[in-house]
Amino acid sequence: MSSGAFVRKGFNRRQVLGAAAASALFAPAVIAKPTSVSFGLTPVFLDSDIKLISQIETYLSAQLGVPVTLVKRRTYMEITSLLVAGQLDAAWICGLPFVQHRSQLQLVAVPLYLGEPTYRSYIICNSSDAIGDPIETRGGIHAFSDPDSNSGHLVTAAWLAGMNETPGSFFSKTIFTYGHRNVIRAVASGLAHSGSVDGYVWEVMREVEPELINKSKVIRRSELMGFPPIASSRATDPGIARAIGAALINMPNDPLGQKILATLRLDGFRQGEPQLFDSIAAAWQRVRRDG
Amino acid sequence: MIERLRPSRLPVAIKIPLLIAILMVVVAAGISKAVLQRLEQSQQNHFHELKAVYLEGLATALKPYMIRRDPWEVFDVLDRARSGYSAPKAKVTLVVGADKKVLASSDPRAFSIGALPPSELASILLPPDLDDPSGEVWIKRDLYEAGVHLGAVAALIDVTSFQEARRETLFALIGFNFLLTILLAAIGWMVVRRAMQPLVRLSDLLSRSTDGRLPTVPTSELPPPDTEAGRAYRSYNSAAAAIDEREALLKRLASEERASLIGRYASALAHEVNNPLGGLFNAVRMIQRHGDDQTQREKAAQLIERGLTGIRNVVKASLVLWRSPVQEAKVTPSDIEDLRYLVAGDAERRGLILSWDNQIDSEVPVLVQAVRQIALNLLLNACAASPRGSAVGFRAFETGKILYLEVTDEGPGLPEEALQLLLSGPTIGVPASSGLGIWTVARLVSELNGEIHLTSETGSRIEVRLPHHAERALKPAA
Repeated sequence: MSSGAFVRKGFNRRQVLGAAAASALFAPAVIAKPTSVSFGLTPVFLDSDIKLISQIETYLSAQLGVPVTLVKRRTYMEITSLLVAGQLDAAWICGLPFVQHRSQLQLVAVPLYLGEPTYRSYIICNSSDAIGDPIETRGGIHAFSDPDSNSGHLVTAAWLAGMNETPGSFFSKTIFTYGHRNVIRAVASGLAHSGSVDGYVWEVMREVEPELINKSKVIRRSELMGFPPIASSRATDPGIARAIGAALINMPNDPLGQKILATLRLDGFRQGEPQLFDSIAAAWQRVRRDG
Repeated sequence: MIERLRPSRLPVAIKIPLLIAILMVVVAAGISKAVLQRLEQSQQNHFHELKAVYLEGLATALKPYMIRRDPWEVFDVLDRARSGYSAPKAKVTLVVGADKKVLASSDPRAFSIGALPPSELASILLPPDLDDPSGEVWIKRDLYEAGVHLGAVAALIDVTSFQEARRETLFALIGFNFLLTILLAAIGWMVVRRAMQPLVRLSDLLSRSTDGRLPTVPTSELPPPDTEAGRAYRSYNSAAAAIDEREALLKRLASEERASLIGRYASALAHEVNNPLGGLFNAVRMIQRHGDDQTQREKAAQLIERGLTGIRNVVKASLVLWRSPVQEAKVTPSDIEDLRYLVAGDAERRGLILSWDNQIDSEVPVLVQAVRQIALNLLLNACAASPRGSAVGFRAFETGKILYLEVTDEGPGLPEEALQLLLSGPTIGVPASSGLGIWTVARLVSELNGEIHLTSETGSRIEVRLPHHAERALKPAA
């Protein structure tokens, strides 16, 4: 995919603004004569599910009345950079980048998992290993998801910081797999002795790929934190951002939206509060301070 | 038994299929070896190609991550390749970095990050030994980028499928060749049996020959004359007919010889009867002239009685000799003794001294007609050959179930032809003119399974040894 695919061309911002302002908050937005909207996806979840991506594209396009292009990148940093730079209208990012770029980003919507906009981070190990406490993973090889992932990196780093440890000091080696599913694969295969993974992804995959998940087991669950949100750049037209948010919040009311939510095992979206991510911000601060 | 199993003793119908089978086994072994060698070569080539494709494909995907020394990406490539390649079946694939430690492997539990690679990697055979008993072979490829050694990708390949293919091929070859060998041997057996059928039948017919006669093949069963079997059967039938004819001729000759003997004997008999006739006539005349004289009359009566007794003896012996064609199975002392009357006249007429020694005092189980014919022939011949005034001797005795007949004379000895006949038996053929009596003796002795021994220092001495019959032959004919 070329970079031009997610760069808006000839977009009439005023028309969009007018339409968005006139529309009700939860009603689908109608954008006058749009060209395209770009929506970024981090490898939060099923990074290879082409069908899901296609469904989201179709749904958003229908809801916004403009062609919507989904943009995927391998790392969180790539998507965050594009979003902050205003090259994406919105993106589903992790809580950590949202916290890191709080001043440049605005919250569009937060997914509801098990009815709440929260999730946990897990530390997992191979199910055949006799490990009961995460402290026993010391000296092993640890798999992280992404350096900019809250659940796949920060939570474990913060937990270690609380013990005056860093990943480098606690583990013999750390590897980044750039995907929560990859963390599970690394641990299940034995490549890594333990791994930091998104608790929501692990739980959903328990249904989707039980053979893989059965080769791993959870040895630490973090406290609840804000679910990875959909954010837009503050430079993005607020009307577009609202329109996208409205489309996402309307998802349970649409047949295709219901399919998407069923695939994602989510209950829906709601407007979130930035305070949801305070605990992540605190963890980040701790790691930055102690690391 | 072992003797019968010697190859030279085996029948052709067995020998040829056996030879075909042995030949097939040798040929099959050769073909199998060639096929297996070719298969091995083919497998080596195939394995080499698989190895090149597998390692080359991996190398292309792995190089960027090996340069970055990224264990996850290396593992990801290896893990995806595991399902992407169906052949060769890699049990484990591992990537060794430039530091000679495992960067990642498809089985991290066996070869974890940073572990030392297996020692086998240092001594990989080229070409690989696909027969390795473990069923596994290591393959390896070193990777370079801009001349810098990045490390190596190695895989433990399961070669049991190659071994299985070779084993299956071997079993298939053995099975197919075994069936082919059996089939060809069976065909060979049938062909030879069919080809040998005339020979086997002729052999069977020859073994069924009785009394020198051969059974012939019926004309309806004869194959066409333009075939080999047809010609063989016809030749056999001709030979059988010739043998029949010869046997018939011999029988006729024997019969003629008997008639000749009768003629000779009739002459002797006439002479024997004639001798006393002069005395009888004298006696008759004596009675006619001096019948009143008691003394003369009694003397004449005695003369008549003596003459008639002599005639009666001769006639009696003749009756015994020719009484019946039925063969009596036993020789009695009187059967021998009677011969004396038949020979005595001839000997007396020739002025010979007949020495008679009959030691037979009980029945001897030998065909009597044949014995008497043998003895009479030899005695008459001896008389004929002896000069006037010489002696002719006869002795008969039994020792160890053998009847001995011994005839001696003081003549010039037997002529060469007669000697040959006696010593060689009747097989050399029928004499042209003379010597039929000697030939008959030889023939009878042969029929009775006897032997003839000759000595001729002064005159001749012929000894005939005739064994007893078997028990069954002693029973009188019905």
